[in-house]
Amino acid sequence: MSLANLTKPWAPMSYGFLDASAKRELRRKMIKSVCVPGCQMPYASREVPMARGWGTGGLQVSLTLINPQITVKVIDQGADDSVNAASIRRFLARVSGAPTTLDTLKADLIQSRHRIPEEVLREDQVLVLQVPNPEPLRSVQPNMSIARQMHGDADYGRMWLQLYEQIVRSGRVMQGASYPSMVNGRHVMTPSPIPRWDVPKLHMAKHLTILSAGREKRIFAVPPFTRVEPLVFDDVPYRVEDHAGLTCSRSGAKGFFMNEIPQSDGTSTYEVSDSEYGVKSIRQRDGETLTMGETWYKDGEMPQ
Amino acid sequence: MTLTLHAPRIVKTAPLVQVHGVSKSYGPVVALREVAAKVYPGEVLGIVGESGSGKSTLLRMMNLEETPDAGSYTLDLPDVEGNLFDLNRFARRILCATQIGIVYQNPHLGLLMNHSSSGNVAERLLVAGERRFAVLREKAKEALAASEFPLERLDAPPIELSGGMQQRVQLAKAIALAPALLLLDEPTTGLDVSVQALVLDTLKRLQRDRKITMVIVSHDLGVIRTLADRVMVMRRGEVVEAGLVDQIFQDPQHAYTQQLVHAKL
Amino acid sequence: MAYVATRGGERAIEQSERLFREAMGKIDAARVSEVKAALPYLVDRVMGEASLYDEDLAALALTQTGGELYEAVLVLRAWRTTQPRLCVAAAVEQDSLFTHRRISAAFKDIPGGQVLGPTLDYSHRVLATDVLGGTPFDPPRVEPAANPAPAHQPSVSAWQAANDLVDLPATDGAAGEAIPDLTREPLLFPAKRAHTLQSLARAETGGVLALGYAAMRGYGQAHPTVNELRLAEAEVMVKHPNGTEFSAGRVKVSQAEVVSKTGDKLGLGFAATFGWNEVKCISAATLDLNSKGAPKGSPTEEEFFLYHTEGVEASGFCIHFKLPHYVTFQSSLDAMRDAKAKPVKEPAE
Repeated sequence: MSLANLTKPWAPMSYGFLDASAKRELRRKMIKSVCVPGCQMPYASREVPMARGWGTGGLQVSLTLINPQITVKVIDQGADDSVNAASIRRFLARVSGAPTTLDTLKADLIQSRHRIPEEVLREDQVLVLQVPNPEPLRSVQPNMSIARQMHGDADYGRMWLQLYEQIVRSGRVMQGASYPSMVNGRHVMTPSPIPRWDVPKLHMAKHLTILSAGREKRIFAVPPFTRVEPLVFDDVPYRVEDHAGLTCSRSGAKGFFMNEIPQSDGTSTYEVSDSEYGVKSIRQRDGETLTMGETWYKDGEMPQ
Repeated sequence: MTLTLHAPRIVKTAPLVQVHGVSKSYGPVVALREVAAKVYPGEVLGIVGESGSGKSTLLRMMNLEETPDAGSYTLDLPDVEGNLFDLNRFARRILCATQIGIVYQNPHLGLLMNHSSSGNVAERLLVAGERRFAVLREKAKEALAASEFPLERLDAPPIELSGGMQQRVQLAKAIALAPALLLLDEPTTGLDVSVQALVLDTLKRLQRDRKITMVIVSHDLGVIRTLADRVMVMRRGEVVEAGLVDQIFQDPQHAYTQQLVHAKL
Repeated sequence: MAYVATRGGERAIEQSERLFREAMGKIDAARVSEVKAALPYLVDRVMGEASLYDEDLAALALTQTGGELYEAVLVLRAWRTTQPRLCVAAAVEQDSLFTHRRISAAFKDIPGGQVLGPTLDYSHRVLATDVLGGTPFDPPRVEPAANPAPAHQPSVSAWQAANDLVDLPATDGAAGEAIPDLTREPLLFPAKRAHTLQSLARAETGGVLALGYAAMRGYGQAHPTVNELRLAEAEVMVKHPNGTEFSAGRVKVSQAEVVSKTGDKLGLGFAATFGWNEVKCISAATLDLNSKGAPKGSPTEEEFFLYHTEGVEASGFCIHFKLPHYVTFQSSLDAMRDAKAKPVKEPAE
């Protein structure tokens, strides 16, 4: 036994970038968040080589879960080739040696900013959502400590009041993305700024979803087979975006959430937001044999 | 022919509200000392006294906003048991939302000034678990109408309304769930005299039509006279005299009560 | 027709980074040494905000980012994240600080004296344009005083406490791993004292100044008097597992203590940071002074100023608005268009 055997050469970073203490903090808080679905758990968020507000929370979760056998997919607004997604994917691969993929079906871990892929996720897949503002009560209460007490008291009257007034004023709930949802019948969470289209995918899903806000230092989770119910009045049903009848101008795929592309003549064309799904649709249409996963939405509708 | 006479049945109603031995000090200042009170169903109890008498403190305690150093508070309702001062946070909130309504002197305390008036009322229903929009709208209108609030201002925020209208919104909010007990803390103080009279009229009518049990705090004997069946006189944290309104006002026993009554008349 | 093969994203970001770095050209150890020698106060500021003391790494961070302060602090903090925690040094007592500069506005003279130390406070702020014309600026030599200022000074507040003018905060005796660490635990409110002080120590100078200035101008209740401002060096004393205590070196620290009349005594505000940064210390100490008794939800409350002076978070969130937001935008447009299509009826009588 020599000193050389007992030590290892100094390296500028640990495996997966985060040091052991950081990973331990993340693991403990993730477990805690799975135990109380939808409840925000404060955690000591670390700085990572990326600016705050750009997905450091999601990144810390991914770095904690990653190992060289885990295949990673990273998307932003549904696209793998968005500059931020590309940057995060590169970093994850570099610090972990994990393989990456664009195909939802092949990924074990999916880190996403603001979208859930259209293909149904399985029990063995984990979805990590990037969260800018973890506090659904922020618009009625900007102070985090007071809001935290309100969650403890299940004091959501003001939240419901806001929805009531939107209907009174505008005839419908005006909430766009980040639709406040009741998790496991107890805590109201923000599902992160995913469109209303995506929220029903979380309800009683087979996969685990972890939502992490690095800057605001809160982590929360939707365990598999957990109820996620958008706050709606019994007589004013939940409405997703009006995309059921849209067709992707590039792939021909129909009835999925689309990106609107304004044209110079004042009209718009649409492209499927889940870009890899769009690419697979094109490849399939062109005669390639590949696997298109089962989708949550069929013909623009999500069956109950 | 024989007549069968039945003995008259004496129906003894239990008091709805019982407060017993309530004491509270803030440091060296004694706010309440051994205060006791009973209120029967459908009755209006007035609490009169000058500032510093402890009457508002007592009302806050009856609204479970504060707990005393000693004492008990019970409500004779199905599913409600024991000393309410011992309830945990959750139970306290549910009870306050569903069984107790309150109107504050200062509307800013009781209302969300920048939300709509109907929304203020709807919020109570929402806290109690109502999830049908149509019902929220309907019940809010009903409660506001019963409080004689002009329905064309249904969705105006209280910040844009006059003092009298703000009190009506508070009232609507307080009665929306048909609570067992309605608490009023100087509800008309600070309003124009003519507006005061109108609001008092509304209160009187409401009480008569719905048989609401009320506890009303006021330094104004006229208000007590108009609304209350019985009155409790408080001074420096203690109850000095209590009894039927007419009795107390016509034949006050305690020196302080005499002072109060005679100063007014 | 072939499917979309070109993924523009990866190439674009690679080139955009190259474009940025092109401006700075080749970076070598010599340039880093130059920056360290030429810009010590900037190096100090960056070390303070990164809560990491290493002048070479700080100079490297500045060099590598071309002086983009927020980027420099971020890269240092990210580095800090990867480093293992070896141990916690011993607490530094006030009287053991090796003082370079110590002034008090509260009294004309104090035990230990008013030591002006290095400062531009009394200089004329005139640009030495001759330098650009070819005449180097060689500062005149310092003429040492006949009697050197003492290296250590007792604190002013100790004298005030002895005279029953101020209540010094009680120490809880926590040491080593028992000291709460802001980088290892989430910041919750009401904050632990250690968390508050650590947060202020690594707060962003501009943010602290802005909020401190607001407090000084009247948005805060308390008008500060500078009890003491110190620029000093602290010995980092470390204990080896076998018991030997030794110095791991010295770090530059600066601190400010401000007071104001609070009832019948003086209220006290304190802040300290790595490196020498007077503006930050005085502003931060003023925020600390005003936070006691600040109404919940107000800008002088701790929860407000600690959150908003966190430079890495603030700048990151600010620039994150550059990221694509078209999905959330689409969702809002959808709701708006639908609402416009169906106008609301007026509420019935």
